[in-house]
Amino acid sequence: MSDAALDRTPNVTGTKTLSINYGLFAFAIVALTILYICARLYQQAFGFSMGLDASSPEFGEYWMTLFRIELPVLYGAGALCWTYLFLTRDKNIEAITPEVELRSYFYLTMWLVVYSFCIFWTGSFFADGDGVWHQTTLRDTPFTPSHIILFYATIPIYLFFGVGSFVYAMTRIPAFCRGISLMHVFAVVGPFLILPNLGFNEWGHAYWLTEEIFSHPLHWGFVVLGWCALALAGVLMQIVGRFRELVPIVFKQEAASA
Amino acid sequence: MTSITDIDAVAIPKRKAGPKGETVISVSGLTPGAARYSRMFDFLVVAAVVPLFAGAFHLHVMLTVGDWDMYVDWKDRQYWPLVTPISMIMFPAALQAIFWVNFRLPIGATVGATVLLITTWLGRYANWWIWTGFPFTEGVPSQVIAGALLMDMALIVLRNSLFTSIFAGFAFGFVFWPSNYSALAPFYLPVEHQGMVASLADMIGYTFPRSNMPEYLRIIERGTLRTFGSSVSWVSAAFAGFICIFMHQLWWQLGRFASQTTFLKNGDVVKSFMGMKSRPAS
Repeated sequence: MSDAALDRTPNVTGTKTLSINYGLFAFAIVALTILYICARLYQQAFGFSMGLDASSPEFGEYWMTLFRIELPVLYGAGALCWTYLFLTRDKNIEAITPEVELRSYFYLTMWLVVYSFCIFWTGSFFADGDGVWHQTTLRDTPFTPSHIILFYATIPIYLFFGVGSFVYAMTRIPAFCRGISLMHVFAVVGPFLILPNLGFNEWGHAYWLTEEIFSHPLHWGFVVLGWCALALAGVLMQIVGRFRELVPIVFKQEAASA
Repeated sequence: MTSITDIDAVAIPKRKAGPKGETVISVSGLTPGAARYSRMFDFLVVAAVVPLFAGAFHLHVMLTVGDWDMYVDWKDRQYWPLVTPISMIMFPAALQAIFWVNFRLPIGATVGATVLLITTWLGRYANWWIWTGFPFTEGVPSQVIAGALLMDMALIVLRNSLFTSIFAGFAFGFVFWPSNYSALAPFYLPVEHQGMVASLADMIGYTFPRSNMPEYLRIIERGTLRTFGSSVSWVSAAFAGFICIFMHQLWWQLGRFASQTTFLKNGDVVKSFMGMKSRPAS
């Protein structure tokens, strides 16, 4: 490696800064962590004590009440957020400056980080809890204490951020407005379809499989749809590619002042 | 004759000691501001990749070979060394392709295997132990870190996905049994239970029953396998290695597909709807 290559750093006194606000991103991560831990603690407190008999009054009070609250609240929050993103879109998206575009790529990546964070809690943590719950207790309803958290709380939460990332990209970033990112579609629609796939899952459990083998083919619909999460790599590659083009443009003045 | 010391002296110019990372940044040619934001962006990308693949990979393993992975008494010599590595090579192979083809980073398989083990133990602790009271000894998970390291090492040396599939794919399946054996050996000790021989793992399963998974559902060592002696594990390991060759290549290609950057062109109506002004006709 030559000295010339090692000495390419411009001697710059003033460093250019982008105004990127990490506040909402940090708030989302902290709030979601607290929410997930509280959900797990609720399962711990009322899973076995109130959640074993779906016909009992206490089941209705402790679990069905939660179910009836979380569905409208979470989907309502999602619809509000997506509508807000659409209504506040840039009406002349082609005219945005490279600096604004670079900032939008940062924010899109933050959306994807939060989406990915939610996928972890859903696909790993609460799905694991669902497995151990159903290998321990007999189900007498599709709305079990593990399902009420896993399927009807954590899935709407990741849909909030998955669909949100999609709407954000299409309304703020020129490349994602000019064309639909095929991998972004896979990364959002695949995990989204896990929700309707529940119909197949519960139908099978209701009629034939009261005992639980977790790796039973009845569950493989979730597996195939979960594979779609891999497509987030393609979205990140799209972001990385444009990021590499934008950085020299945005920081051109800084380099020129060297 | 030129000694190695002489070559080093010529090839590596002496530089003044600077702050940590200065050399790396100087080679990149980025300005300090650009380097700073580039680092932040790197952090965000890692933060997006790790939990996502942890969640998707763990879900995949639970729903394809979960029962073998979850319980120590499902870890037999016939199915567990066969089905588990076949399922567990899928995501590491895809991640290997994503990291290698796009970034020339030979770490994909090891990253996948490591995050899987961490998230699995997190679930074992928070759900299996704290919620339902199964002891850790009943829920010892399988690990594929040894096979993943071999895969990444083979990729560094061979630099070719096909040869990596043939040699390292086979190695991944083949070393699954021996690399897990040290942790599981105590559970294979024979004990007497109601006048019958059982393993210690069987005894743990009888003591802490899964009330929704009756004993007759446990899929272990059917057929004549028990009469074959000690070599049967290696037969299963070799068969797993054979299947893993094809599985590695299949998922390598899937990883490449997943990291493509295709945009499907939007029509003018959609573009205008989303905020893009249509160009005047020339």
